[in-house]
Amino acid sequence: MQIEMKNIRKSFGSNDVLKDVSLSFTAGHIHALLGENGAGKSTLMNILGGVIQRDEGAIYKDGDQVEFNKPADSQEAGIAFIHQELNLINDLPVYENMFMGREPKKKFGMLDHEKMIEDTQDLFNRMNIDLDPKAMVSDLDSSYKQIVEICRAMSTNASIIIMDEPTTSLTDSEIERVFDMMKTLRNQGVGLIFISHKLKEVKHICDRYAVLRDGELVSQGDVSEVTTDDLARFMVGHDVRTEPLARSRETGEEVLRVENLTYDQQFKDASFSIKAGEVVGFTGLLGDGRSELFQSIFGANGISSGKIFLKGKEVTIDSTMKAINHGIAYLPRNRKENAIISDMDILENSAVATWPKFSRFGVINREIHREQFIKQRDSLNIKMGKWTENITKLSGGNQQKVVLSKWLNTNPEILILDNPTQGVDVGAKEDIYDIILSLADQKIAVIVLSSEAQEIIRVCDRTLVMYHGAIQGELVGEDMTEHQIMTLATGGDVTIEGEGKSLWKQEQ
Amino acid sequence: MEAGTVSVRRGFVDWFKERWVNDPLFSIFIALLVMVVLQTLVLGFDFNSFGEWFQTWVNNWINILRNNAGIAIVALGMTFVIMTGGIDLSVGATLVATGAFAMTLVDIGERGLFAMIGLTGVPAIIFTILLTMAFGYLLGTLIGATVTKGLVPPFIATLGAMMVFRSVTQHFMQGYNPRVPTEFLQIASFKIGNLMIMPIVYWIIIAAIMYYVSKRTTFGRQIIAVGSNERSARLSGINVDKVKLRVYALMGLLVSIAAIIQVSRVGSMDFAGAGRGMEMDAIAAAVVGGTSMMGGRGFILGTVYGMLIIAVLNNLLNLFGVPPLLRDAFKGLIVIGAVLLQRKKII
Repeated sequence: MQIEMKNIRKSFGSNDVLKDVSLSFTAGHIHALLGENGAGKSTLMNILGGVIQRDEGAIYKDGDQVEFNKPADSQEAGIAFIHQELNLINDLPVYENMFMGREPKKKFGMLDHEKMIEDTQDLFNRMNIDLDPKAMVSDLDSSYKQIVEICRAMSTNASIIIMDEPTTSLTDSEIERVFDMMKTLRNQGVGLIFISHKLKEVKHICDRYAVLRDGELVSQGDVSEVTTDDLARFMVGHDVRTEPLARSRETGEEVLRVENLTYDQQFKDASFSIKAGEVVGFTGLLGDGRSELFQSIFGANGISSGKIFLKGKEVTIDSTMKAINHGIAYLPRNRKENAIISDMDILENSAVATWPKFSRFGVINREIHREQFIKQRDSLNIKMGKWTENITKLSGGNQQKVVLSKWLNTNPEILILDNPTQGVDVGAKEDIYDIILSLADQKIAVIVLSSEAQEIIRVCDRTLVMYHGAIQGELVGEDMTEHQIMTLATGGDVTIEGEGKSLWKQEQ
Repeated sequence: MEAGTVSVRRGFVDWFKERWVNDPLFSIFIALLVMVVLQTLVLGFDFNSFGEWFQTWVNNWINILRNNAGIAIVALGMTFVIMTGGIDLSVGATLVATGAFAMTLVDIGERGLFAMIGLTGVPAIIFTILLTMAFGYLLGTLIGATVTKGLVPPFIATLGAMMVFRSVTQHFMQGYNPRVPTEFLQIASFKIGNLMIMPIVYWIIIAAIMYYVSKRTTFGRQIIAVGSNERSARLSGINVDKVKLRVYALMGLLVSIAAIIQVSRVGSMDFAGAGRGMEMDAIAAAVVGGTSMMGGRGFILGTVYGMLIIAVLNNLLNLFGVPPLLRDAFKGLIVIGAVLLQRKKII
């Protein structure tokens, strides 16, 4: 099957989101659709999925013009759309999710559970997926949820599957699993449209690419003929840096020391020390416990044993308020769920942590907040309209900068950034790296939690790699390579050549 | 000339559309205006002079407002509760509990607590007011603690509290008829320039304070943050439990004020019937005023509008002679209609 979109135009009010875009997608290929946030990718795919209607242009299926007035039209034409937020019902088993809305029935309208289980198992066998159809969706990790979504799309006999950033919340091994699945599908003649910000993944798995910028198609072709640098350049319109940015800078006194910190099964026996002005990375695979560890240090989780020292003094931190008062700031992962308050405007989202600090008798000092925000907006280069606009109107990168400004307002000495570039486009990513380094220059201890080894290598002075809740090893400076990080992250031991000794003794 | 008129008209239409879409309270304010016009029309113009008409019109309004002041104050607290994503079904029961508490204190008969210790007159009344408010605050705190520390869903916690408070009150007040001193009645019936508007004054003052709290204070903004995204709020250093606890405590406090107003208006209280359905009216006022039951979105001013709409509607139904049993149907339709009006298209 071939889907052709010709001369598609779409505007929202005065904002032209798509300006005459023509693209085609064929079955049996994996197409990458690239572009920064706001480039028009989602709009284009929503038009293809029948979620919104185009203003001008036409869509052809195998040469015949088709109309997608509603999602069902598009599905009928053999197009499945897997949204970034998965549409699975957690409290139902996998097989019921597979047949949601088109359940096979027995006599008297009873659900035919046996058939659903059997069919699901068949499909899984065909796809080489080792998953129990009767498992509850809530028990699955993100990659399997993604896989269930893909299988559901498959079971509707889709010939083209749109995947909107399927890998953002996945760890490397999970991504590998999804990729295997995608390859299987391609080999079975299914066409895939893969929307992603991760260019290495695109290079790795996709056959064709198309780059949108400001609503226009700026480049398309075979992935084998371009490098990731080329793609990044197409996306932002200029060269993008990839070299390590971390530079030697003078570090100060120790600001944070953690000794044998343990909490339930989440993390165990974590010990490390961080100095002012350092940029320290924490990385690992899913379930490594790094987020949980730092949420505990931030007073949002729990601690069963171990000690935390701030500037050499032992402290107990049992609430986030206390952590903030101690000069700790924590920018959480999953911005939408954990960091954004979507009913509030930009200014308030930047002020929410400092209301108590800048207030008198409980009355908020709005003047100070405004001044602070103007300062932050300029120094962080936040691109926005009026600050009374809702935070959700901003692009991902700018939203993240607003969240960051919230924490800088608290004047932190220790800044913990958990997946700081999640859902952020290439340009804003670079901005955030620059901000991290300039904060370190201001003697703030910056801790970067990330699952992207490249990111860690780019900005961090050293990195601690976690595995199953324990710190597996530490890599400094040039020893931080993707290979070394991966070895530690999968539970291996790293030895440095020449010295011939283990850098870190294995736990247990 | 003609073109000018058209462009002015176009300008107004655009402005109206823009307001309608962007100002959450605009549609509800228009609805209120319509109700006010209707109310005025129904009152008619069959009077000897403008002065007489105006007198009647004002009196009619004072009646409407005064009759609804108590529930309007409760609705303000309910708005905060709903904004945190919670609900309080116990307000009617808290009303009789705090009302009974006040009457027991201030009773000038032989079982009156203050009378027993020889405390009478104005001091007794002042202490009654303060202690009743403290009692309301305490009951609210108990509910808040059940919700936050006990992790009982607000619906269940307040449903339980509703039964407990009313039942206990009825039991203890069985066969006991406190005599409220006439001075106490002055709280509601004190006249300003010949007008009995004290309950309205309380309502306006409390609404103004609540408006200021919701817009300008740490507490008020944290309510929105908690209701909108509890996780984000906690990870931003907000003590979510404390905010919720204080919201329920404030609810109890406001109910106790409504109870004092009610007792001082009539001098007695029907512990079995008073406040029944109050929670639904308060929720209705908040919802009509644009407060989202999901939390995170709510307007004190909207609740004031919502209350006025419901109050005027009651009055209109009365004037039209709509059978009493049918009146709730109209109220129900107004609630649903108001939410339909405010429904915004997504995307």
